[in-house]
Amino acid sequence: MACGGEEGPRGISQSLPWDSVVARARGTTVQWRMWRGDPSINGFVDTWVAPRLERDYGITLRTIDGQGPEIINLLVVERDARAQGSADLVWINGETFNNLRKEKLLYGPWSDRLPAARFVDSLSPIVMRDFEQPTNGFESPWGRVQFTLIYDSVRVPSPPHTVDELGRWIRSHPGRFTHDQQFTGTTFLKAVLYAENGGAQNFQGGFNEERYSGGSERVWAWLDSLRPYFWRQGRTYPAGAADLHRLFANGEVDFTMSYNENEVITKVRQGVIPRTSRALILRDGSIANAHFVGIPFNAPNPAGAMVVANFLLSAAAQFEKLRPEVWADGTVLDVKKLPPRLEAGFGTIDTDPRGIPRDTLRRYETPEVAPEYTERLARDWKARIRANTK
Amino acid sequence: MSGGRRGASGLIVAIVVSSPVLAGIVYSILGALGVAGPGADGMSLRHFQVVLGDSATWRSILWTVWIALASTLAATILAMGAAAIFRAQQGVDRFARLVAIVPLAVPHVVAALCGVLILSQSGLLARLAFAASLQSSPADMPALTSDRYGIGLIIALVWKEFPFLALVAFALIAQRGVALEETARTLGAGALRTFRVATLPALWRGLLPAMIAVFTFVAGNYEVAVLLAPSSPLALPLLTMERYTDSSLAARGDAFVLVLLAIMVSLWGVIAHEWFASRVEVVE
Amino acid sequence: MNAMRSLPRLGLAALLVFATLLPLAFLVALSVSSDWFYPNLAPRRWTGANWDLLRRSGAVIFSSLRVSAALALATGAVSSISGLFAGRKIARLDGWRGRVAVACAFLPVAVPPLALSIGLQYSLLKMGLGGRFSGVLFAHVVPALGYTTLFFVGIFAVFDWLVEDEARSLGASPRDVIMRVTLPLLRRPLVEAFALGFLVSWAQVPLTLLIGQGLVRTLPLELMSYVSAGQDHLAATAGLVLTIPPLALLVVTALAVRRLGAVIA
Repeated sequence: MACGGEEGPRGISQSLPWDSVVARARGTTVQWRMWRGDPSINGFVDTWVAPRLERDYGITLRTIDGQGPEIINLLVVERDARAQGSADLVWINGETFNNLRKEKLLYGPWSDRLPAARFVDSLSPIVMRDFEQPTNGFESPWGRVQFTLIYDSVRVPSPPHTVDELGRWIRSHPGRFTHDQQFTGTTFLKAVLYAENGGAQNFQGGFNEERYSGGSERVWAWLDSLRPYFWRQGRTYPAGAADLHRLFANGEVDFTMSYNENEVITKVRQGVIPRTSRALILRDGSIANAHFVGIPFNAPNPAGAMVVANFLLSAAAQFEKLRPEVWADGTVLDVKKLPPRLEAGFGTIDTDPRGIPRDTLRRYETPEVAPEYTERLARDWKARIRANTK
Repeated sequence: MSGGRRGASGLIVAIVVSSPVLAGIVYSILGALGVAGPGADGMSLRHFQVVLGDSATWRSILWTVWIALASTLAATILAMGAAAIFRAQQGVDRFARLVAIVPLAVPHVVAALCGVLILSQSGLLARLAFAASLQSSPADMPALTSDRYGIGLIIALVWKEFPFLALVAFALIAQRGVALEETARTLGAGALRTFRVATLPALWRGLLPAMIAVFTFVAGNYEVAVLLAPSSPLALPLLTMERYTDSSLAARGDAFVLVLLAIMVSLWGVIAHEWFASRVEVVE
Repeated sequence: MNAMRSLPRLGLAALLVFATLLPLAFLVALSVSSDWFYPNLAPRRWTGANWDLLRRSGAVIFSSLRVSAALALATGAVSSISGLFAGRKIARLDGWRGRVAVACAFLPVAVPPLALSIGLQYSLLKMGLGGRFSGVLFAHVVPALGYTTLFFVGIFAVFDWLVEDEARSLGASPRDVIMRVTLPLLRRPLVEAFALGFLVSWAQVPLTLLIGQGLVRTLPLELMSYVSAGQDHLAATAGLVLTIPPLALLVVTALAVRRLGAVIA
């Protein structure tokens, strides 16, 4: 049984030329396990990607709903039960990738064999490393996003721009701010961690327990001093980003947040948040990360999966994905590497006024650090709010 | 009346009905011991120690039991009331009985969504209060959702569970109620006494299995809790899900311990049922 | 005297109707609107876009509707009949055997679906039923059978066994007793048990998700996606689609019961 080594269970040997991979994939079905919670993303995949895969490669794309933790659990149970693999491609990043690698649940390496890989922005630490872990060819980049706050320009005409200013704002507007318990909220905690400890560079170079203890102490201090001014006096928190958006839209709080800098555009278009919403970058640093696609160790159709991954990296697909009307998800390509005609196309995308100009985004971009920091922050935060209830 | 072949075949039937669950329990035990499942790293009692030693676990269980008890009792009392009041075959009573079971058709998650949109501080009720100038901002409205006592959660659950209990209660009254009441009335009892002595015990006996079902269902329901319950104390299904999807694989074994605890909570309900059943007299 | 009794009764009935139907009316309003935030009592925009979107992703919604219907009908049928026989056998047990049997019947109901899914996932995957319709059907029947068995234990707890005994004393075979005497008397509970089993399957989420592995796509799963994405209007629309068939089933049940007219003396 393959353990994610040089050859997968279906024997796509490293020496197989790309044309043969494409030929092998023709006429097959690729099952892609991805998060299906955003209609914009679903629309892009279902109505743009899938028909083109059918037309150009003869591949039938079938998407299955699934997020990181579920994917890991499913692959573990499938491995234990020696059941047939139910996914060829999975949409992952961060801790999910880390855990899958540790458990040897990923097929690979394979991503360097994709023809489109040579256009990837290989100088960007955001794209080449997943939470500081080198991808080593076990996952192929798909898109990149950056963390922002979202506010209502009508309710908050002059918003804060740093974590300290945010703290002052919270104090003068009690009950009007909170964060969620899931990934977005944890990203916010990381932003506070960097801000209160002199920047993300102090946490790079792998996980360090002392640095974590010292750093997190400052985070807890910041949170504790502001807790009485949080929504519901900080005694309860919305479960996920969607719940926080709802509170924001209905005027219970004045800020929401997203790890995607352009979510403000798509959410306004979907009618989830008011039209006057705007994105906001914290000058202490906006955490940037990329998201990837990987191939499980027991994928029935790795050839098809690789062809799909390659298509997702194509200039056309990356461009379409970047458009605000579609998804507004950042590209992982280095546009300067593209042929001039294609490169020019990328320049024509106007930034929506609700979003943030690209150079501002780049100026404040901050990479992710080792996944253990994220895990520990999330776990310790939860333990603290549970312990604090009387 | 019992014993022999009939006793054996009855037991066999019961075991068949429960066998998939027993298999699941065995797997959960293996997972809790670290032998199987996500995060399995060898036989150890570590997961038990971590989970049972955490006070958050016990607070979660107590809170979950409170919610389940409160909503089950409230829904049962309403169901018995509805069955007693709307008893006639025709007219208003029949219409009321039909309407009462409508929420059975509504999925729990939809009921929960309605709960959030109606009962939250910016929900329908709050907007009515705003329109009536009773409040000027969401914060003025008392918190019914994501609150410490789970009031909104209980309301939504009662809305969803009342129809099921009412359905059973209506069936009981229809099958048995008339006969019992005739008997009691011929013995000279008045309307209220008839109800208390003849109908009520029959209702209780017949409803107890359904009540236990509702109690355990509510205690284990995830979809409604995720929308309406607070982050602390955390309802047991939410805590279980949190552990099962924990970013560190090693912690996922904790979820199996929580699963076993959840089953034990339900088993206590079953034991309570048996205790009650052996004490309630049957009126023949 | 009749009028005095009927006014408070009418009032209570009205209260019941209002409390029951208000959330449903609210759902309908949500499904044909957008832009509905605090403090507005009415949405800013009435629009058919939600239903339109549902129609446009028609293939997905239709196929998940079909899958949900097939699963629910099969579950209802299997669990109602089996539940009747199981409940009857169990209700006749006395003493410790009766108590153990009832406790066993409780297990599929007592175990939270989430826990059941986590526990069953491994076994069903191993048997090759993972990600397949048959596997999900099996998973649905497990709790449904528990509910219908309990339901019938309750019915048989107040059942008049004399009727059966008399039939037997008149020379009817045990099979005849069941087919000719018991079943006709229990038409109404049978129909209701079918509806019960149907509903347990129709609204099921964790079991479908974990056993179906996302490959068996039912309507509640689509709904959960909308809710967790914060798409309240779409969720309301899908929620209504999800509500209508069981509602129709309940109405049909009620009408059918009336025609069958089950009354025991």
